[in-house]
Amino acid sequence: MNQELSLPIQIAWLIPLYGFAGMLVSLPWASGLFRRDAHRPAAYLNILLTLLAFGHGSLILQQVFQSGPVDLAFPWLSVADLELDISFSLSLTNLVALELITGLSLFSQVYSLGYMDKEWALARFFALLGFFEGAMSGVVLSDSLFQSYFLLEMLTLSTYLLVGFWYAQPLVVTAARDAFLTKRVGDVLLLMGVVALCSYSGAMGFNDLYAWASNDAMSPLAATLLGLGLIAGPTGKCAQFPMHLWLDEAMEGPNPASILRNSVVVTCGAIVLLKVMPILQLSPIAEGVLLLIGSISAIGGSLVAIAQVDIKRTQSYTTTAHLGLVFIAIALQIPVLALLLLFSHAVSKALLSMSIGGVIASTNCQDITELGGLGSRMPATTTAFVVGGAGLVGFLPLGGFLALAQSIELLSVRSIPFMGVFLLTNALTALGLVRVFRHVFLGNPLIKSRRSAEVNWQMALPMVALSVVVLLTPLLLVRLESLDGLLAFPLWAAGLVVGSGLIGLVAGGLLPLSKAWSRSLNPWLRWFQDLLAYDFYTENFYRVTIVNVVARVSRLAFWFDRTIVDGLLNGVARLSLQSAEGLKLSVSGQIQSYVLTVLVAIVLFLTTVSWFLT
Amino acid sequence: MLLSLLLLIPLLGALALILWPGSPTSNRLREVSIVLLAVQCLASFALLLPFDPADAGLQLIEQARWVHAIGLDYALAVDGLSLPLVLMNGVLCLVAAIASRSIENRPRIYFALLLLISGAVNGAFLAQNLLLFFLFYELELIPLWLLIAVWGGANRAYAATKFLIVTAVSGVLILAAFLGLAFVSGTMDFSLKPIMAGELGMTAQLVLMGALLIGFGIKIPLFPFHTWLPDAHTEASTPVSVLLAGVLLKLGTYGLLRFCLGLFPEAWQLASPWLAAWAAISVLYGSLAAIAQTDMKRMVAYSSVGHMGYVLLAAAAATPLGLMGALFQMVSHGLISGVLFLLVGVVYARTGTRDLNVLRGLLNPQRGLPLTGSLMIIGVMASAGIPGMAGFISEFLIFRGSLQPFPVATLLSMVGSGLTAVYFLLLVNRAFFGRLAIAPGEVVNPRILDRVALREQVSAIALSLGVLALGLVPELLSNLSEAATTGLSQISGGLS
Repeated sequence: MNQELSLPIQIAWLIPLYGFAGMLVSLPWASGLFRRDAHRPAAYLNILLTLLAFGHGSLILQQVFQSGPVDLAFPWLSVADLELDISFSLSLTNLVALELITGLSLFSQVYSLGYMDKEWALARFFALLGFFEGAMSGVVLSDSLFQSYFLLEMLTLSTYLLVGFWYAQPLVVTAARDAFLTKRVGDVLLLMGVVALCSYSGAMGFNDLYAWASNDAMSPLAATLLGLGLIAGPTGKCAQFPMHLWLDEAMEGPNPASILRNSVVVTCGAIVLLKVMPILQLSPIAEGVLLLIGSISAIGGSLVAIAQVDIKRTQSYTTTAHLGLVFIAIALQIPVLALLLLFSHAVSKALLSMSIGGVIASTNCQDITELGGLGSRMPATTTAFVVGGAGLVGFLPLGGFLALAQSIELLSVRSIPFMGVFLLTNALTALGLVRVFRHVFLGNPLIKSRRSAEVNWQMALPMVALSVVVLLTPLLLVRLESLDGLLAFPLWAAGLVVGSGLIGLVAGGLLPLSKAWSRSLNPWLRWFQDLLAYDFYTENFYRVTIVNVVARVSRLAFWFDRTIVDGLLNGVARLSLQSAEGLKLSVSGQIQSYVLTVLVAIVLFLTTVSWFLT
Repeated sequence: MLLSLLLLIPLLGALALILWPGSPTSNRLREVSIVLLAVQCLASFALLLPFDPADAGLQLIEQARWVHAIGLDYALAVDGLSLPLVLMNGVLCLVAAIASRSIENRPRIYFALLLLISGAVNGAFLAQNLLLFFLFYELELIPLWLLIAVWGGANRAYAATKFLIVTAVSGVLILAAFLGLAFVSGTMDFSLKPIMAGELGMTAQLVLMGALLIGFGIKIPLFPFHTWLPDAHTEASTPVSVLLAGVLLKLGTYGLLRFCLGLFPEAWQLASPWLAAWAAISVLYGSLAAIAQTDMKRMVAYSSVGHMGYVLLAAAAATPLGLMGALFQMVSHGLISGVLFLLVGVVYARTGTRDLNVLRGLLNPQRGLPLTGSLMIIGVMASAGIPGMAGFISEFLIFRGSLQPFPVATLLSMVGSGLTAVYFLLLVNRAFFGRLAIAPGEVVNPRILDRVALREQVSAIALSLGVLALGLVPELLSNLSEAATTGLSQISGGLS
């Protein structure tokens, strides 16, 4: 079979390696070995490698588009009854996701050239981006759960390092820690699921797992635990409730990485969840949990986003909200819908993040209440925000609208309540975006935005290019998905989506923005405002519960160790010293007493031994 | 002959250092021992040439009658279980010698003891006679005690004495079990092969195995016999810590597999549910205690307690996969803890402290220790089981091999793996992230730390590369040892 494959497909295993190679080639600059050329060559090499990855991916995509999907597998480890492969599934879906990742990675790397212009550790940043991109490319192409886990964990590590990029800042330190630990909790639970699946099914390839899942009769409890384990990993990766805190804090990291994090990293998590979806079917409880997580994240996330004043946070919570919708789609076993939502979200959110990055780079301010009037000063950034927002919200006929209209159509036959969740999320997202837009781009310039100018060309170029991509998304979707049904939603569904978007827009437009109005006098309303502004006090909740418990138990363990275990040992030592002190007084010089002692001891010893051993 | 060479090079080398005429400088002695240990390391890698990985049995057997009257014969051999450990001993002893810079206090004895340990450990891994094993097991004890007691930190007397007494108890228990085995089975033949505990009554088997288990449990160390380890590590100098964690603890786990499991398979099987529970407790206890530490070295020491617990878990399951995982864990723990102790040593040498409440911002590229920090991140991530590095594949094999026989204990151990991430992340976050203290009067944290030359980090870099290589290409090790671990699993009638 192999000789029939074309060269690009045969060497498809190179794709994740481009990113990793980017990391390796950056090392001489990152480690300070080459000092003279200001790290730029590392950046250019990384961009070149990403371009290669994108080009290679497009070639494969073209061929797969014409002649159908291909699976590749290379043996990696074979021990006893365990066979692990490095395997790639070159399906249309996976390849589109790959192109999305490499494409957005390319955009954000060019963007970084401008955003991180004066950064002294540019090479380290690009090395980490390369690592990030390599891991993500591998995750989406992966055809085995083991490999997906392997790369997801690498993604966790690279997220940690990217968030912690400016490690000297105190907030960054906690953000990096929380990002790592939150994801790690999800990953450990996922590992439990992976190991259990591997033990009971004996295979790790997704297709083998599907076959096993459809045949095997697991006990409901085992299936539920397994399902929950498999859900936990993506829940952390996609920043879903209750593991959503890290994405918000991770905004402390450099903005170009946030672009990727908010668009494609979360997509990776969702794609892994999509790949295990058929296994989740075994457990209705797991599906129920998934629906619950998705709904809480969707509505909660979009509500919290509205209460934020930090421009980056307003974005990160809408990411949580949209991924919540994806979770619902996956729980209801509608993969097409999940993919549509993911794609339209990824491109629009990347563009929004770029625009926000532009605002921050130009004003050095993240508080939307201190900004204003940037619309006329930063045309490209403003356009990017508008286009990104339009692509995200279901109102204009762009990606978000298509995805949502399709959702409403599909949900109307399955579950009316979740239709409500989708519409509500859409309205709230629209409201939040209009609110941010009015604060930042409209009105009179405030002190911090008075002297702002448009961003430099390295940032503007990808912004404009991505704006075009977002505008073309409907065409891309129609062509790539080749779905007859893509535009086949009834008019009422379109009407509902547009209506919900419109309500959000109008409400956002009418929202009083002046600072005097921002705090209500009504205590209940104030309480609600605070609740949302502090993200339902999730952070405090964690501090009081898990963090507190682990800290206390570990201190207890240490105290126990020092006082009881070690204390016992020292006690025995002290006792023997003291008894020796006492016994030395019994030295009498009488040989008979010595002989007697020795004899008694020998007899005692031998009796015990023979008693035991017979 | 090759195997004897692995003993002779270091032992004769130690003798040569002692008898070296005149007063050689510390540097000269270090160079000579590095050369000797490098030759020994090469010799151990030369074992790979004649070694046949497909053969599950003993290979390259060397035998000679020695004190035959008491059953003590000179019998060496290597198999897939001991070979990786011998290789690791070769590498880590070399690393320890390289890391032994500026030994001003009695360098001659110091390096001689280092060589002695290296030879004794090789002997223990290769010995095929129980008494010979015991001899080497004890032979390594005294040099290590001296290395801690003479070249250790402020509280070295306490730590060294504790180490000596507790480990001596371990030796006594092991000897008692060996003698008991011979006594009960009525032979005076201590060679590993003819000794079969199968004919013994179960009570006798359990008692003898229990003695061995506690003996090796002290060495490994497992909760609650572990308290000597943090003290010993805290007081030991960096190279000694590398040896202690990397090589000497492996004697315990090796003994667990070779003698407890290998000699008493039936009793082992009977006890295995309890052993799995013990393993889970040890893992969780070690990890939780590590979280509460503020001394970097103590933290790494407690992490060893947790990570060695995985080995017991896998040994309890005794599936082919689990035993392979156990071997992986021994090797990867050896390499990873080597990296971590070397780096903690660098930090201590530069800042004068290992206190996580004091250290901040060491990643600072101008005034801090950026390379040390980067390597430290690799080390702690490997230890926390991030894929791509040796720790992950070890843990995966162990968990996969133990889940079916012992689901609860395995899941609890996985929680321990999550806790590893917690404490090591705290270590990196506290000591390396944040702002390097520049407040005047901060004695322990000087404003500008001496640059760490690349050559000081060569060992840590080399070990890190090993960790990565093993994590990315695990067949390097699995191909070497699969026959042996599968064979061992069959002896014990593997539970899978």
